[in-house]
Amino acid sequence: MVMSIQAKKLNYTYQIGTPLEHVALKDVSINIKDGSYTAIVGHTGSGKSTLLQHLNGLLKPTSGEISINGYTIDNTTKNKELGKLRKEVGFVFQFPEAQLFEETVLKDIAFAPKNFGKSEDEAEKIAREKAKLVALPEEVLEKSPFELSGGQMRRVAIAGILAMEPKVLVLDEPTAGLDPEGRHQMMEMFNRLHKDENLTIILVTHQMNDVAEYADHVIVLESGKVIADSTPKELFSDPEWLKNHHLNLPQTTDFAYKLFDKLALSKHSIPLQSEELTDEILKILGGNLNE
Amino acid sequence: MNKLLLGRYINGNSLIHRMDPRSKLALSFYFIGIIFLANNWQTYLLLIAFTFLGVLLSKIKLSFFIRGIIPLVWLILFTVLLQVFFTNGGHVFWHWGPFTLSKYGLVNGVYVFFRFVLIIVMSTLLTLTTSPLEISDAMESLLKPLKYLKVPVYEISLMLSIALRFVPTLMDETAKIMNAQRSRGVNFGEGSLVEQVKAVIPILIPLFVSSFNRAEDLATAMEARGYKGGEGRTKFRVHVWKLRDTMTIIAFAVLTIALIILKN
Repeated sequence: MVMSIQAKKLNYTYQIGTPLEHVALKDVSINIKDGSYTAIVGHTGSGKSTLLQHLNGLLKPTSGEISINGYTIDNTTKNKELGKLRKEVGFVFQFPEAQLFEETVLKDIAFAPKNFGKSEDEAEKIAREKAKLVALPEEVLEKSPFELSGGQMRRVAIAGILAMEPKVLVLDEPTAGLDPEGRHQMMEMFNRLHKDENLTIILVTHQMNDVAEYADHVIVLESGKVIADSTPKELFSDPEWLKNHHLNLPQTTDFAYKLFDKLALSKHSIPLQSEELTDEILKILGGNLNE
Repeated sequence: MNKLLLGRYINGNSLIHRMDPRSKLALSFYFIGIIFLANNWQTYLLLIAFTFLGVLLSKIKLSFFIRGIIPLVWLILFTVLLQVFFTNGGHVFWHWGPFTLSKYGLVNGVYVFFRFVLIIVMSTLLTLTTSPLEISDAMESLLKPLKYLKVPVYEISLMLSIALRFVPTLMDETAKIMNAQRSRGVNFGEGSLVEQVKAVIPILIPLFVSSFNRAEDLATAMEARGYKGGEGRTKFRVHVWKLRDTMTIIAFAVLTIALIILKN
């Protein structure tokens, strides 16, 4: 079975047939490969959230279709069939700590597997595993989730999603409201899950630094349309285009461009990560030293 | 949720929109009172014409008013049927056990029907042309005399406006939490009654938690800006009594007199 996500001519209109009708997605065709790390970028109201909600069947397309790991959804799909799909695609909402409700952290993490038919014991075992995976200390498992700090609550919520053992993890601005340290730890954790657990990751973000650092595929949405579908390297190699669409460069790339300009060097290679930038600077220095 | 017309304000600039909310609120209540003066077809016709004039003046499409009636259709039907079958008098058309279908009953049924529709249309007219904030403002100012009876008028109206303000926020929040729990495998509206009631818990607890948090934030934000109760607080929106308000009151007075003359 080919595990991938494919949208074909996906359209979605809110409140169709009323004066408040609003087209959120227009002819969106995308292809997200299994095992990839895809970033979805776009301004508020560009249709990111609407697109995300199609990925686990919370919304059904008005027209067109989307197929996810072998399940095809169009506007005739029955709601009952969407349940199986939700197990495949774990959806971490913005501020996911708002979904916590159980008496203990452990019970909350075990909520989803129990819903998907696991026994009490199995669910608890999975919950313990996933708590470890998101680096929750053992002693918080029996506490109420509402006693924890904001960052820990978010980890509990994410563990609760991972407990469904999804193949795809959808993240809607997962680091919003966290401090820089927590932000970094969170992103490193997702990267680890991507590498070690072989999870396909779909990340919605405003942080171009994260796109440059982690993603291997990037989709840009504007007013419900896909305006770019490429790799971060390609996307960030056209600063003019980014500027026209009011998007920023990642810090490293921005720095490199400024440096190249100052030294009047040709922009032969665009560094995305700090290591690449260091290499590039060393090369420049080395070149100068050799002269 | 869109069926709920209460608090669904439609922005506009009609004569009715521009009226003082105090006079609108007071007259809406007054109208419910004088409806009970009507007891024959002339008086009902007059009331219908008067209400229709109000609807026309608001420049809001008639369909909005009809949508206001729809949720209450069963209540109206039930009351009308009660009137029709349990009122005796006049020519009896049909009779079975405790049920009678008499001329008097039929006429009364029609009257009750119109009474309901008129009250709903008039109160819909109020909520469609007056924003919730204006209504709570008007309520506060109309209740002011109760202050002398030690009723906390200002606090009541503050509670009302905060509650109204957070209705849309809570609805958004509910939708978001429902989506999150759906993603965790909860099926709403499926399974046995017990299962369905159980499915409400994962929505209600997060909603309570976030409401308490929000209330605390709001209180802090208000205190940070120097809020210390209603005493001596001035208003941002000052109501000004205009000629149109006086005119409307005169129109209602004329209506009342006409009703008294025309009724049996």
